[in-house]
Amino acid sequence: MRPVLLEVRGLTKRFGGLTAVKSVGFTVSAGEVLGILGPNGAGKTTLYNLLTGFIRPDEGSVEFRGRSLLGLAPHRIVRLGVARTFQLCRPFVGMTVLENVLVGGLANAAARTGAGAREARARDLVAQVGLAGKEHTAVEVLSYGDQRRLEIARALATGPSLLLLDEPFAGLGAHEIADLSALIRRIHADEGLTVLLIEHRLHEFMKLVDRVIALDFGETIADDVPERIVRNPRVIEAYIGGSADTAGTV
Amino acid sequence: MFDRRIDLAGAALFVAVMALLPLMFSNNYLIGVLTVSVIYGLWSVSWDFMSGLTGRENFGHSLFIGVGAYTAGFLNTAWGLPAWWSLPAAMIVAAVFALAVGIPTLRLKGPYFALAMLSTAVIMQRLMLIFWEQTGGEEGINGIEPLIRSQLGFYYFALAVLVAVTATLVAIARSPWGLILRAIRGDEATCQAAGLNVTFYKIASLVISAAVAGAGGAMYAHYQLQVSPQVFAVVMSITIITMVYVGGMASIYGPVGGAILLVLLTELLRSFGEWRLMIYSCTLILILFFLPEGFIAPVWRWIRARLGARDGASR
Repeated sequence: MRPVLLEVRGLTKRFGGLTAVKSVGFTVSAGEVLGILGPNGAGKTTLYNLLTGFIRPDEGSVEFRGRSLLGLAPHRIVRLGVARTFQLCRPFVGMTVLENVLVGGLANAAARTGAGAREARARDLVAQVGLAGKEHTAVEVLSYGDQRRLEIARALATGPSLLLLDEPFAGLGAHEIADLSALIRRIHADEGLTVLLIEHRLHEFMKLVDRVIALDFGETIADDVPERIVRNPRVIEAYIGGSADTAGTV
Repeated sequence: MFDRRIDLAGAALFVAVMALLPLMFSNNYLIGVLTVSVIYGLWSVSWDFMSGLTGRENFGHSLFIGVGAYTAGFLNTAWGLPAWWSLPAAMIVAAVFALAVGIPTLRLKGPYFALAMLSTAVIMQRLMLIFWEQTGGEEGINGIEPLIRSQLGFYYFALAVLVAVTATLVAIARSPWGLILRAIRGDEATCQAAGLNVTFYKIASLVISAAVAGAGGAMYAHYQLQVSPQVFAVVMSITIITMVYVGGMASIYGPVGGAILLVLLTELLRSFGEWRLMIYSCTLILILFFLPEGFIAPVWRWIRARLGARDGASR
């Protein structure tokens, strides 16, 4: 049994009358790739914001390596080893690809070295995500797929042990999705990184993840391996809203 | 590598011209104009360090200038302290004001910081009038001693301060600190996701910016030998922002050129009498319209690129 890295219990967030996340609980084991599935508005991004300290939960607990993350500022949570990407890419505009990745590494205590070493590490990461040769490109002119890669490189620069990806395939073509999916698999295999993944593109998603948590209206409706998730009637109901026959296409 | 050498050569040329001008013309009026332009340079550079790099516009830089100038005035006249005490005291008082305005407003997104700076400067200007018995009201504080008796000596002192401050702030702007400040301009949430304490960096930058502006305010008070509530005026802050725009935002060195250019332009236009403001405004509009990136820094980058290309080719 692999050790538990992240343990979420009874997490609840209400916005006025709307309960965006309702008593969600799950655990993530070290080295696992866990997917979070759910239709739009199911509370997936809110869940990420709760885990990373961008918003505070009303109830519940989040423990990372046995340490509570509740009430910690986002930058403190990152320094403990939880990095995230954003659903809409949010690079540092007005800066180059390399500078973007450099900023990601500045708060990484393990990599607190000289300027030369920092830059070498950033260059490695840029190459690792497949952006070699674009180090000095302004981020504004990057394609959407490259911006996604940059998001991942910047997150990796913080030296995380848990990486939270928020819809990394959104807005990408089939080719780019295949490339990015290979990249995520490689990062997971090479670095032994634990990955939490929100995604809509079921085909690639199901191949990537070890286990899936399905959310609907802020509630956990299933927690299972992908093979069984796609046959789970509650998931099919929530996600496709149709009969079990259409499930075969995912 | 060439770039750094060319930058140093450019800076040396600038300092040489500024140092030699008063010797060549040896005219007290010119020394006075140059001294004022150098002090405006300090204010513009300090504005650019915080607001140009982070993109959090400060519409009340005159607050720091004013508290610096009044600190100098009080210490030197009411308390009778030697003039040199003014500089560190003004820096500390301005930094305290920066903390008081920055801590509550720089955590928030939106226009709160800009508005708080603007309104605090206006409030301070009014307070100087309300507490006229202590502050001298509209008249302000008179009889402040000069820092250095010789006018030329004071000019060289101010120029040395400007060069030292600009060099230091350019060095910070090119270090990881500057990278973080520019990243804050790019996206604050992403900075947080990179593990950076955004609020700390913004407040610390404002404190540095305020300390420099406050020192400039004290130097201004010791140069004018008096201080009036006009140092808190909104038009002061706007003038400084204009100088930064003309110089080239976020370049740090550009605003020095912007300040000197606009102070000299104001003086040159004196002979045009009532047409002065018209010509000044039209010049500004043309610069900002055709050169949205500013004038000084883009021109310098162009020169540097040309020289760099030639240097590279000759090797």
